[in-house]
Amino acid sequence: MLDVKDIDVFYGDRKVLERICLSAESGLKGIIGPNGSGKTTLLKSISRVLKPKSGIILLNGKDVYELKAKDIAKDMTVVSQDTSTKFDFTVRDVVLMGRAPHLGRFEMEKREDMEIAEKAMKLTKTWHLADRTITEISGGEKQRVIIAKALAQEPKVLLLDEPTSHLDINYQIEILDLIKALSKELVVIAVFHDLNLAARYCDELILLSEGRVFASGKPDEVIISRNIEDVYDIEVMVKQDSGRLVIYPQKKVTKFKKGRIHVVCGGGTATLLMNSLVNHGYTVTAGVLNRNDSDWDTGKMLGIEVVEEKPFSTISEKKHLQNLEFIKQAEFVVMTDMPFGNGNLHNLEAVMEAINSGILVAVIEGSDIKERDFTGGKATDLYALIKAEGSTSVRNYLEIIEMLEKKCG
Amino acid sequence: MYPKIVKWGVIILTLVLALALSSVISLAFGPVNIPLDEIFAVLINGEAELVNKTIISHIRLPRIILAMLVGSALAVAGAAMQGLFKNPMADPYVIGISSGAAFGASIAIIAGISVPILAFLGALGAVFLVYNIAIKNGKIAVETLLLSGIAIAAFFSATTSLLMYMAGENLHQIVFWLMGGLWASDWDKVMVAFPPILLGIIGISIFSRDLNAMLLGEEPAQYLGIDVENVKRILLVLASLITGIAVSVSGIIGFVGLIIPHMVRIVVGPDNRILIPSCGLVGAIFLIWADVLARTIIAPTELPVGIIMALFGVPFFIYLLRSKKRNWMIRC
Repeated sequence: MLDVKDIDVFYGDRKVLERICLSAESGLKGIIGPNGSGKTTLLKSISRVLKPKSGIILLNGKDVYELKAKDIAKDMTVVSQDTSTKFDFTVRDVVLMGRAPHLGRFEMEKREDMEIAEKAMKLTKTWHLADRTITEISGGEKQRVIIAKALAQEPKVLLLDEPTSHLDINYQIEILDLIKALSKELVVIAVFHDLNLAARYCDELILLSEGRVFASGKPDEVIISRNIEDVYDIEVMVKQDSGRLVIYPQKKVTKFKKGRIHVVCGGGTATLLMNSLVNHGYTVTAGVLNRNDSDWDTGKMLGIEVVEEKPFSTISEKKHLQNLEFIKQAEFVVMTDMPFGNGNLHNLEAVMEAINSGILVAVIEGSDIKERDFTGGKATDLYALIKAEGSTSVRNYLEIIEMLEKKCG
Repeated sequence: MYPKIVKWGVIILTLVLALALSSVISLAFGPVNIPLDEIFAVLINGEAELVNKTIISHIRLPRIILAMLVGSALAVAGAAMQGLFKNPMADPYVIGISSGAAFGASIAIIAGISVPILAFLGALGAVFLVYNIAIKNGKIAVETLLLSGIAIAAFFSATTSLLMYMAGENLHQIVFWLMGGLWASDWDKVMVAFPPILLGIIGISIFSRDLNAMLLGEEPAQYLGIDVENVKRILLVLASLITGIAVSVSGIIGFVGLIIPHMVRIVVGPDNRILIPSCGLVGAIFLIWADVLARTIIAPTELPVGIIMALFGVPFFIYLLRSKKRNWMIRC
């Protein structure tokens, strides 16, 4: 029915769509993607408003840009967002305008056209509004009238640009139920802002990101947390709830440039991590480390700024504060699976501080804390608190690198 | 068959009848009162007193026909512009036609050459400028059209003011022309104005269903298979043409193009298929009677008809606006 093949679309010199392919034979197809990803542009290209620079759009095997506007309007139409008027046409008049492509220039609407309009109004539950004027009905009613007008065109392909924006939840559901029912008989392609509604109603989805198709397929293939996180920059949890996909937004993923990473370590637990971080281009700081500790050696060798304490000494209040300063400047704090004694307990407190001030913290859990707690349980308690307060646990340094690279990529 | 057609038929028939009656009865009024039976005699078989025959056929008849033409042209052009701009504030002069015409007319008056020709050229020049400023990539953005119209109008108003400042004894002539009037009517003007105005009105009527759809937005109109850019261009050219001709034969008659479409819309509804022909007829009737008042109210002197239109039309318009009898015709 509708085939979009490899289209590139430009606004002036700016490429807004690149190599988009889409094919629709039946059912309800949703286009999703963040603002500016090209959803509406794609709809405009299909509906002949914005001609692609390359590629082709076929309706029943014919290039839409070669067909006459009037002939296209008999087969395909758009329910657009920007239908408004100051002139008080009756609802019936507006719906009857949908018959225009089927009428000759001097032809009046016939009884048959009236019947088609009536059917469209009854289907959209706007028949009772027929004699009201379009200027005096509510937003939800108006949206249904505009859909009725589109249906009066008797299209085989119906395009909708955010059909439920500005509508209350009850109207959203009502209109989407209607669209879903229509999609049994026509090809419906709709732009969606609301991922939950898209997942719930669409047979197939296309996820756009920066003008390209990021993913397409059945809703449960497209709406997976990895796709949504990558495209929308937000952490989400996608759950199956009685056979229905539900998306729970978590928090915004903060992307940072290769920034400062502070490593809390000791006893040679951070050798590989610090090496790898430096090799990946991060600015690394570490502390508090006792001089001549093997991590201190590594740090010095790599030219890392280290908060250092005298060998075999308990971390002093002064060094602890200095460590906190370093942590404040960092965007990310990693704590290795280091052993804890009363001498370096301050380091655990410092990590706790980092969490409290909203800095992202990851903890490497290579071994059980109990096996490396030499403080009689104090470290274990603090450690549990750190884990409970929202740090990320990983198994080894490689996962840290992977995590950081993803956030910066 | 279908009540809308019947309703529209009744409206048009009523208005045609009213126009026919108005044009005949208005022949009776003037500095010399001519009885109706004599008017019929002149119109039917030309038998009447020679003086009255001359007054009717050489003075009043061309004047009344010209009033009809100008009234129709301005009202239809106003309705078309309001539709094009999707703005009830628009009128035929919104894209600078009147200012361009005034500039041309002022030059003609000072230089002592043909006023209608220069007024027409001025009108066309202004539209040409405005149109070319507003066009971009082959498309006309109506907002830009409106703004460039205002800018060009301001420019020509300034040049006209400059000419008036330097016009000396010709000043009162320019002022009189600017107020608009039909005293200089003759058969030549009727002959020149009749074909283009009639064709222009018919042309605009042909696109009235497209104009309906465009009132809901240009993009939605495109989805109905309407070549919006083409329709805009055609309507602009036709509306400018008939306005330019109306202005060149009668000066700048205000009010008709703005208020008549509103009054008619209140009664017949916003559908351009009935609105535009009705505007043509109502505009003609209104200008005929406004002109009767203009030439009799302080006879033997005449008032500019624009003043009459505003003095008597505005209260009537406000009455319609306030009486809430909106869409009487639509409901029945």
